Amino acid sequence: MAALATEGVYSMGRGRFVEPATYEGSEKVSGVVVTPEDLEIHIVARYPLPRPIPEIAENIRERVAPEAGGRKTVVVVDDLEVVGDEGL
Amino acid sequence: MRVFNRIFMILLLAGLFVLGVYMIVYAFDLFGYKLSSLPITDFAGGLKGFVSGVEDGNLPVATQALLVLLAILGLLWFIAELRPTAPRRVRMGSGTYVSRSVVEGEVATVAEEVPDVLGSSVGVKARRSPGAQVNLEARVRRGEDMNTIKSGLQSTVRERLSERGLPLSRLNIKLVEADPRQTRTRVQ
Repeated sequence: MAALATEGVYSMGRGRFVEPATYEGSEKVSGVVVTPEDLEIHIVARYPLPRPIPEIAENIRERVAPEAGGRKTVVVVDDLEVVGDEGL
Repeated sequence: MRVFNRIFMILLLAGLFVLGVYMIVYAFDLFGYKLSSLPITDFAGGLKGFVSGVEDGNLPVATQALLVLLAILGLLWFIAELRPTAPRRVRMGSGTYVSRSVVEGEVATVAEEVPDVLGSSVGVKARRSPGAQVNLEARVRRGEDMNTIKSGLQSTVRERLSERGLPLSRLNIKLVEADPRQTRTRVQ
């Protein structure tokens, strides 16, 4: 939710060959891979980009930091989604 | 190398499987095939002759050349196997990655916004160091000033990718003269 709420994020990434996801109990969280050391967040960025990609990634990192539990956060931009008619 | 290795291993394992089936058939004298009927003695004799030729150092020149060629091929293959595979994603530094398709799409968009470019094809290679290697092939009309278009395209692509925060380690641009009737964009 924190990543999705970041400006410039269109949706969580679905990967290309393998869907990045975390499974716990009966719940599946797409676009997030949690390992003991790392937290990998896959996103689809909104295009045109409101800000450069490194800034969006940094913003995501700041937002998820409280939930990351000290894990190294890796942000992967899987795709861009053209949002042309937004605001019309 | 990964695809080559897979094909090689599939063929090797298929060959071993077939040989294994033959071995079982011959070893247990099935379907009238007997181990004693195999021309093993001729093969063993030939092999013995070859090995003694290697030991004595009196092999024919063609055989020596073939052995040297095989050794060089083996060495080249070994070096190719030692090289780590290229990463799938483009590293942007500080734990941020972007898929190659994102860079491809952005470069194609920028290139086709340049008035003289009628169409483009983009190839992106990720590297272990930050930044992508971009190979851009742009199609232009015949008779255009290639050098001006190339330098303009180079600076535009670099500038736009830099604005987006997409790191570029190398940009190779190839301009190809094309007939506007056969390109995606006829008039810019």
